[in-house]
Amino acid sequence: MKFDFVVLGATGEQGKIASKDLLKKGYKVLLCGRRSSEIKDLLRNKNARFAYLNVRDIKKTAGTIKKSGAKIALNCVELRLNLLVMEACLKAGVHYLDLGGLQEMTVEQYKQSKAFKKKKLTALLGCGSTPGIANVMAKHTAEQMDSIEHVDLGFGWDSNIKEFVMPYSIESIIYEITTEPVVLEGSKFVKNRTCYYEGMSKLREVGKQQIYCIVHSEVYTFYKYFKNKGIKSVHYTAGFPEHSHKVLKLLIGLGLGSKDKINVDGKEIKVLDFTREVLKIAEHPKNYKEIENVWVNMKGTKQNKEKTTLMECITKTIKGFEFAGSNINTGMTISIMAQLLKKGLINATGVNAPEACVPCKEFFEELANRKIYIYQDGTKIN
Amino acid sequence: MIGILGLGNIGKIIADDLGKTYKGKVVYIVRNKDSVKELAKKYNATIRYGDVTKPHTLINSLKGLKVVIHAVHHEYNVNIMKACLKTGTHYLDLGGLYHYTKKQIKLDKNFRKAKLTAILGIGAAPGITNMLAKYGSEQFDDIKNIEILLGSEDLSTYKQKPPIAISYSIQTILQEFTQKPAVFKNGKTVFLEPLTGRKEYTFPDPVGMKKPQYTIHSEIATLPYTLKAKNVSFRIAFDDEFVDTIITLKRLGFLTDKEIKIKENKINVRRMMIEVLKRLPEPVPEKLHQYEIIRVIMEGTKEGRYKQITLDARVEGLNETIDKDTAVPASIAAQMIDKGEIVAAGAWPPESILPKEEFFKELAKRKICIYMNEQRIN
Repeated sequence: MKFDFVVLGATGEQGKIASKDLLKKGYKVLLCGRRSSEIKDLLRNKNARFAYLNVRDIKKTAGTIKKSGAKIALNCVELRLNLLVMEACLKAGVHYLDLGGLQEMTVEQYKQSKAFKKKKLTALLGCGSTPGIANVMAKHTAEQMDSIEHVDLGFGWDSNIKEFVMPYSIESIIYEITTEPVVLEGSKFVKNRTCYYEGMSKLREVGKQQIYCIVHSEVYTFYKYFKNKGIKSVHYTAGFPEHSHKVLKLLIGLGLGSKDKINVDGKEIKVLDFTREVLKIAEHPKNYKEIENVWVNMKGTKQNKEKTTLMECITKTIKGFEFAGSNINTGMTISIMAQLLKKGLINATGVNAPEACVPCKEFFEELANRKIYIYQDGTKIN
Repeated sequence: MIGILGLGNIGKIIADDLGKTYKGKVVYIVRNKDSVKELAKKYNATIRYGDVTKPHTLINSLKGLKVVIHAVHHEYNVNIMKACLKTGTHYLDLGGLYHYTKKQIKLDKNFRKAKLTAILGIGAAPGITNMLAKYGSEQFDDIKNIEILLGSEDLSTYKQKPPIAISYSIQTILQEFTQKPAVFKNGKTVFLEPLTGRKEYTFPDPVGMKKPQYTIHSEIATLPYTLKAKNVSFRIAFDDEFVDTIITLKRLGFLTDKEIKIKENKINVRRMMIEVLKRLPEPVPEKLHQYEIIRVIMEGTKEGRYKQITLDARVEGLNETIDKDTAVPASIAAQMIDKGEIVAAGAWPPESILPKEEFFKELAKRKICIYMNEQRIN
């Protein structure tokens, strides 16, 4: 079978969502990962096949992608492996999309831009909810402004049942909570205090949230793409409901986020691997539902007048994707962007972020088809 | 010659007590001899290598000892008792969390035959609890209820505190939080759900209001039979924050006794979790000040009339931890065996074999005060 797409990390949560979305549209998808037992349901689809793959083996990954016949690879593995997957895609000569690399990895990934351009390939970084939807919302607003002064952005979420459920990748959360965030201040990147508390914020549909300054790639890419409009500052904040933030802090405090190896019964186990596997087993409470608000507040000028625009993306748990809560907006976004790329609606070569090349209208329409809604200053626009 | 098997937190306090109060020779049995070199030098003790998971090393380490105090985890109780039978060593331990105690009692005949004494559970609880109940039992013709309650208050100030304060073996605590607690009710042992019975109870100051909960404990394995009580229960109070943490970890699956696959390895979740928690930094106190109350409330009849009494062991730790109440009873009992004050062969719970007045007198020397109905009795 000649495939339309290859999904790497298809057995993880976001890989499953993206694969399910692509298969639903009738595409032929090669699902790559290490545990096919995780995606039995998806593999019942006649357009799906499984390939065992460890992306650390670049040569084998490139070979598998090439053999699939697909021209687009969706990288849904852990962000620390992004560079390896990019290298495999370059070798295989296919377009590349991923879910983000926070700041450090993103900066490294841009160094591959020349190589992708040379092969006339697209590498689109940060195609999830944030980065991803947030970047396209910023693009939409930036297009309506002559100059940009300041951007505040972030996310906040809550659940109907106040019990802890892993919000997203434990690796990303630990990195975000324990790393000094870089913010843009006066057109310069400066370090802020780790998980700095920035106060309360009231978010549409979610309500009041405590927000914390964390590390995120948008700070870096917004400056890259909006500096021609004079952007001076970018702040990224995460809003966790209190019950979730408390548990995350506890897990980290107990050392469950450590990358150290511990000897147990003669076996060397990395603590973080242990934490991830245990949390995977924990089931969602019955009738558990989430709601998320990804928001971008941009301040600038239009025809010499000050203008502030608030963009919000509201995502709720939807039927058929209950296992992912509001995280569907991450896996679905990479699927949508991959489809836009296949249709020729994204055609920038080299390494890019969504604010550089994703068409807002078509993208927002596709989100609406999936019950993910965009608001501009309180009015639904998709 | 008295041996201490295992020089962890409690083992070290036992060593300290023996060092200060015992004239004979003390032997420390450990896996890592370097870890106790300084302590051995301080008290002129001998160090022997012994590993409870390797029976031949254990037997070698016990040879020539008159008594051994086993301060390693209770899962080794039966094996160590069997090793003592081979080497002719009297045996004491700090408890068997009900199920192990039940198994240990079955070795009574073997200890009788070998003319050796085994005292099962001679710490604070079990240990002091059993002795309080024994003392109180003489006030009754017929005992209806024995209710054991433990509460403590940490008034210390700390320079550094880990996110979870672990006051004794984390392995034992996790078992207490996950195993069904035994309660002796109307003459029968019943097993309740873990974490049940957690309700407010006010201890005397400075402990104050706490929420003791039922936990699996070995007092329930012996007191109903030795003191012929109809109802016996054991509850211990942990801080709300600590309980919340343990409940969260339990709900998220970190305390399950099952195996999970991590890459190519299969490991037991709880065992791994214990190792993670053991890595937490020790609290660094600025000023230690802890207080614990071990309370036994007894109800019954005397000469046909209803009677209730309350017995307390009150322990204040000023510039020392209250863990001494777990350590010193074993040191006291071991010295009693060594001096020949306890000679009965067999495997016994403390209430069946220890002389209560002498025991309480020794506790008083260590500032562990015993009260009956608020009157000091030691």
